[in-house]
This record gives sequence, C-alpha cells and structure tokens, in this order.
Amino acid sequence: MKVVGARIPRYDGVAHVTGRTAYVDDVRIPGTLWAKALRSPHHHAGITKLDTTKAEAMPGVHAVITWEDVPLLEYGHLSALGIPADEPLLAKDEVRYLGQPIALVAAETEQLAAAAVDAIEVAFEERPALFDLRQAFDSDAPKIHQWGNWYTHFEGEMDRRQIRKGDIDWAFENADTIVQGVYRPAAIEHAPIETQVCQVVPEPSGRLTIYSCTQALYFSLGVVAAHLQQPLNRFKLVGGTTGGGFGGKVDTATETMTCLLVLKANRPVKWRWTREEEFLCSSTRAPWHMELATAVTKDGWILGQKMLTLHDSGAYSRFSPYGLTKHSFHHTGAYSIPNLSFDGYVVYTNRVPTTAMRGFGVTSVSFAVETHLSRVAKELGLDPIEIRLKNANRIGDTSPNGVAYTDPSTVATLQAIADAIGHELPADYRTMTNEPRAGDLLPEHLVAQVGSTEGH
Amino acid sequence: MNLTVNGVAHEVGGSELTPLLDVLRLEVGVMGPKAGCHQGGCGSCTVLVDGEPRRSCLLPAGYAEGTEITTVEGLGGPEALAPLQQAFVHHYAAQCGFCTSGMMLAAQAYIDRGGTDDHEAIQAALGGHMCRCTGYSKIIDAVAAAARGDSFDLTTTAVGKYTRMANGGAE
Amino acid sequence: MAAATVAMDAATEVLTPTSEEEAIAAFGDGTDVLVVGGGTIVVPDLTYRRLQPKKALLLGRSGMSGVSKDGARVTIGATTPVQALVDLPAPVGPCAANVADFEIRSQGTVGGNVCAGEGHEAPRGDLQGALLAVGATARSASAGDVTEEPLEDFLPRRGERLLLSISFDEPAAGAYAGLDRPHTHDYTALSVSGARAADGTVRLAATGAGSHGQRLTSAESGDAEAALNDVSPHDDALASAWYRTKVLPVLVRRVLDELKESA
Repeated sequence: MKVVGARIPRYDGVAHVTGRTAYVDDVRIPGTLWAKALRSPHHHAGITKLDTTKAEAMPGVHAVITWEDVPLLEYGHLSALGIPADEPLLAKDEVRYLGQPIALVAAETEQLAAAAVDAIEVAFEERPALFDLRQAFDSDAPKIHQWGNWYTHFEGEMDRRQIRKGDIDWAFENADTIVQGVYRPAAIEHAPIETQVCQVVPEPSGRLTIYSCTQALYFSLGVVAAHLQQPLNRFKLVGGTTGGGFGGKVDTATETMTCLLVLKANRPVKWRWTREEEFLCSSTRAPWHMELATAVTKDGWILGQKMLTLHDSGAYSRFSPYGLTKHSFHHTGAYSIPNLSFDGYVVYTNRVPTTAMRGFGVTSVSFAVETHLSRVAKELGLDPIEIRLKNANRIGDTSPNGVAYTDPSTVATLQAIADAIGHELPADYRTMTNEPRAGDLLPEHLVAQVGSTEGH
Repeated sequence: MNLTVNGVAHEVGGSELTPLLDVLRLEVGVMGPKAGCHQGGCGSCTVLVDGEPRRSCLLPAGYAEGTEITTVEGLGGPEALAPLQQAFVHHYAAQCGFCTSGMMLAAQAYIDRGGTDDHEAIQAALGGHMCRCTGYSKIIDAVAAAARGDSFDLTTTAVGKYTRMANGGAE
Repeated sequence: MAAATVAMDAATEVLTPTSEEEAIAAFGDGTDVLVVGGGTIVVPDLTYRRLQPKKALLLGRSGMSGVSKDGARVTIGATTPVQALVDLPAPVGPCAANVADFEIRSQGTVGGNVCAGEGHEAPRGDLQGALLAVGATARSASAGDVTEEPLEDFLPRRGERLLLSISFDEPAAGAYAGLDRPHTHDYTALSVSGARAADGTVRLAATGAGSHGQRLTSAESGDAEAALNDVSPHDDALASAWYRTKVLPVLVRRVLDELKESA
C-alpha cells in the first residue's frame, strides 16, 4: 500500500498556504445582495406584531422574508431517524430562544441590510423562560415546547431512552459500597474561525446554485428541497472547504432562508453571520446532567450501575434524540457492567438548540464514567488503572443493549497509557489481554452477561 | 486613496473609515485575509503594512494610504513557495486553513524581525491568533523550522511528537 | 465591486489632521466627534453600527506620537503605539506588555487606551492604573483650550476632551501585578500597579475594579485588604465582582512586597 501508513502532505496544503483555498465568503458573484436577520431579543415570548412594510419600502432593499414565505415551515431534519418536526424555519407565533430568526432581509450593502432589519416592526409578549433542565419536570415549570418540556417520541411513544439489564436490585443489595456522583458538563460553542456563511445564485435555467459551508452536502440538499417543496434537481449544492465545523455546520442553518430571499429578489444573495451571531445564536454542544450510582465490591468489581441522564436540547429537538440514543448505548463506557438501570430524557429549555459536536452523546458519558470510576477507585483505595483493567470490556462481554463485543481495545489502551505515564502495573495486569473472560476474570456475577442478548 | 497590495498599485474609493479588510476583499479582490470576527479578536484578517503585522479588520483604510500591503498571496505562489509556506505544508500546520493566512503573515513578520525557533517567543508573537483545528503545536513547529532555516521535503510530512510508525520506529 | 458596498455611513465626515494644532481645531468642543487613534477599539463599533458618528477624527497621521525624556520626566504623545512602552520600567512597561497581543499593541494608541469608554464585557483602559500609580498628568484640549491636569481629574471627563499627551516622572521603584489569562489578546480582568517616588511616597492604582482606573489610597500605607474600600468591582464576561474582590488584595500584596524589595 502506498498511502496507508505513509506521511502524505494535505492535497490542499499548498492552496491553504498561498491563499488560494476558496471558502464560501471568497466566492464573488456580481450583483450579490447582503442578508441580515431579525432575531428574537427574548428567551421566550409570543410575537404579537410583525410588520415588514417599512423595511421593504427602503431604497436598496430587495426582499424581506418571514414565515409566510416558507412553503413547508416545519420539517424534521432527522425525520428519517423518526424524529418529528418541531422547529419553524422562521418564527411564526412565538420565539423560544434568544437569537431565533424571525425575518431575513436582502439589500445592496451589509449596512443597509442591518438598517432594514431595524426598520421591521415587531412586538412581543414576554413569557417566563426555563434555563435549568432539572426544573423541567416541576409542575410549575414554564411550558416551553408543544410536546411539554421533554421529548416524547421515542419508539412506542416512550418519553425516555430506557435500558434495563440483569438484576439491578441484586447488584445494589450485594455491593460493599455504593458510590454516587453527579456530572454536569456545560455547553460548548464550536467557534470555528469561519462563521456560518452561504451564497445562493439564481440561474437562468431556474435552478439555484448554493455555495454552502455545510459539513453534510447531501443532507443539506435534502433539507432545502423539503422546506422549499421543490425537487432535488432544482438545486446545485456546491460545497467547498469549510473553515472549521466540528459538527456545528450540519444544521443547514443558512441555505434554506437564503434561497427564499433569492427567489423573491431574483438576485444572488450572501448571508454571512457575524461572530456575535455565531456565539449567541448558533447551536452548541449540549449541556448534560448525569447522575451515576455504582454498586462495587471492595476488590473493585462493578456489580451494577444506575444512571439518570438529562440532555439539554435547547428550544428544539434537532439531533438531540439521536444523541441521547447513542449516549444510552455507551453509558457504561469501556467497562463491562452486568446489571443496569438507565433512564435518559431529552429536555427542552429556552437555550439555543443544541446539536452535533465531535462524538456528541458519547463524550458526555465518557467524561462521567471515567471521572466516576476514578472516584470509585479512590473510595475503595484501589489503583485507578487496575480497577479499569479488571472491568474493561473483553471479547464476548456485552454492551448495555446486549451487543457482544468482538474485539474491544480497552485492555491494550489502558496498558499503553500506564506505560506512557510510567505507571507501574503488577505482572498479572501487565499481561492481560482482551481474550474472553476466564478464571479470576470471570466471577460469577459476570457469567450471565457474557454474550447475553438481554436488552431494554 | 492609493495603496500598494503585493506590489501592485490600486486606487480605491469609499470612506477612510472603511476597514482595510473590506477594501482588500471587496474592492481590490484579494481574498487571503479572512473575516473571522471583524473585531480584531481572531487574527485571521492580519496583513503586513509596510512589513508590520496589523489587524486589517481594525485598520481604517485611511491609515493604509501610501503603504505597501502584503497578504498571504504575496508571500509566494504555488510555483515558488516561500520557506515559511513550505514549512507549513511539511509540518501539517494547516487543517481547515482559515487561520493560516493571518498566522503566516504574523510569523513572517516575527522571522523578519529576527525571531528564533524559541517556542515561547513564537507563542508570544502569534498569541493573538486563534486556531480551532490544529491545537497550535504544528503551527509552532512550522514557524520554528522556518526560523531555523530548515529545508523541506514537500513529498512527505514531518514526524510529529506522537507519530508512531507501523514498523515501530520513527522511520 | 463598488466601494459603496461596505462604506461606512456616507454621512460621517472624516477629518485627518496632520498636526497637533489641526487636531485641536478639528476636535472643537468634541460634539458629535468620534476620535480614532489606532482604531482597535472603535472600528468594530463602527462595523457593527454601535456608533454612527457625524464626524470622525483620524489621528494616526497627526504627528502626536513619540516617547521623549527630559531628565526623569517622560512624555508620551497620545497616538504613540502601546508597544512603544513595553520596555519602560515598571509599572508602565509590564502593564503595556500585558495589553492584548503584539499586533493590537502595535496598532492601538496610548491615547485610545487611556480614553476608552467604560467596557461592559471587559474592563478597558489597561494603562490607566499604571499611569495613575506613577502620578501622570494629562494634557488635553477642548474648544481650543489646552489644560494639563492630574490623570485622576482627567479620567472622568476623558470622553469630552482630546488627549494630547501624558507625562510622568520615572519612579524610584515600580511594580505591576495583573490577572493573566492564557490568551494574550484579552483585556486584563484586573491589575494593580504601584510606584514609589523619589521622596518615598507610594501610590497604588487598579484597572478593572470599577468603571475606570482608580487609586487605591487606602492600601498605600501597606494594608492590602484596605484596598477593597476604594473600589466597586462589577461582574463582566471576564470575571465576577466576587472574584475581583477576592483577588484584589492578593495583587496589592504582591505589588507592595515588590516595592519593598527594591527599597
């Protein structure tokens, strides 16, 4: 093989260092208009008035769009995964997060577009907002989503992801110690150096050419076609180099609205978000609330784990049910825990809707499980790497939802870590492998879960 | 207003208050400097003004009048890469590439004023530049290599700190 | 593409004086005039339409730049880049070196820094504390009248006058302690500067503990905790008021100790 294992320079390296790489904002189409958005200044409010007449009348303003211009206002971006639509492309009767787009203007200059946005007459009736997802379940919590304060459309119309495996009560009754912990990673902003940007051009053929910074070209094409109720071949989606995305440029945040402006103005339009918009209004990695209770023996076997997860979806669902699903499958981390009780909820708050970012759903639980395991080791007075090696997944061990591992690398990875940091391991730990459990590594409580298909 | 960009004279109109970044990208048509934040916080707009690094998004065009401006395109083209550009390619110092233009111009100015391969000095010189992709270490390696005057084999990339080759060695 | 696509509001009249006299005349009494030093603070406000001035005074070519010494007296022109101060002795030197990053320091001016309006997301006017500590005076103009006054008297009216230069006597000893953040280009959340004059008097000042830099007279006799009597810190994006209250006496203590060591 010529490429695998070799050190190959980037194919676009020379373009990057000579300024030749063309990002969306570098595309120059004569006659392009600038777009600016009217965004909600409130976290939660009803819209009592929306009048764009003055803005439309301003010289140099070519088009203004609101929800009325959108052929299909709500489209579930992940409806293929069973997540129903809940988010309007442009706000209609209410706004649920600060920064939610309400209207979009296309004008000759960026400054003019901003002035036109200021000229849109809009009035709100503020409503109480919910920010702490722990309060979402209180009877007096503000109701901020049409389905209540948490997602209710998992399979069988369940309102949570639930995993039950083995006998959790047995585990807790037979443990020497129960260790509890609460883990709450905060939201993270992707902050790519290139902000969201999109350029759309009307072609004489009637097609629209879309220059997009999306990370997911075909996905975005489908979303645009669905909202606009047009066949896919109406659009030509030109991707290019994305100036950093990290999961934040899969929401198809700009293309659909820019297309609508182009259809109304019959001119090319570019919408480039400011850094402020990127920080305030673009989707983030979700905040999570995870409660873990682990039942352990004094020699470091993990008999069982109870977990409650609340995932903060922000104001709308987007990809959150999918993220929580992944989270649930991985909620034991890299370790073989035979008795499980897991409940996870997708909770709505009046924050910016959360989205994908670098392994979303799984990084949160890895953080919680690993931090927790170190605390368990400390409480038991055991070596933190040895306790991990003992409980590490091996061939034949099963995941929370009953899938047997065929070649997990946990043991080898832990040994490599110990080696790299100069952490001495006893001989029997140094020679461990990921071969199926046997002998001392297969205590009675693990026998039933090996290759088991018991699931949720 | 008259300004020289990468050796070519331009006459530009508009207000002296317009940020140089917008004049360069929209009037002169040079796309190397990027609009990452338009408030001087990220460094992707940095250009050289008479050899000195400046945030073009913060510089009123009136202050650029009569100066020689260098953008990343002016460092060298694909047919003849400058040593610093070669260093960035060989050391894999660019991923998405959006911060690269500003980083390189700041680095070139650092080297031109006598900067060495001292990592702390490089960090101090480039400290105002943000990168969300690389974690900075390969950028610093590239600048250090260029400051040292290394030569670069552009058919391959440098061995990184954590590179482990399949044959167990560093090749 | 035409320049008009991104021109600033065409109604803003731009004035570009080429001497201090012209700058004073162009400034007038300051009504509706936006003063632009290096542009590092005000240009984003123009870009984002937070400021839409009738007139803008570009001072970059007015010749008001330069650091001169007359014996122990240092005079800094208002449009001197901040970078030009980094090699001055403490507290002014290290305070200047801690401002933002190399590019911002090379473009931003001392005048722009000292006269910056109150920041809401982060404290502005990094240099104010250091200059107060060395007992600086400010020479400024308005409506043709040129005055020189102590910096603490100038600061509350810095928005109404055109700063021309700052002067101070080099102290016998100086010290600077600031909260350092990993990014070099952030505003400093909180800093304390101290100086001991030739006659032994100690002056302390802070930036980031109020709406602009201020003296910490209560702590000048050596009681670091007493500095809290002089300040009213608030929350912002960089730090909470609570945190500033905890850290201020620590920074004061460090500055006082350093001044003592160089006795």
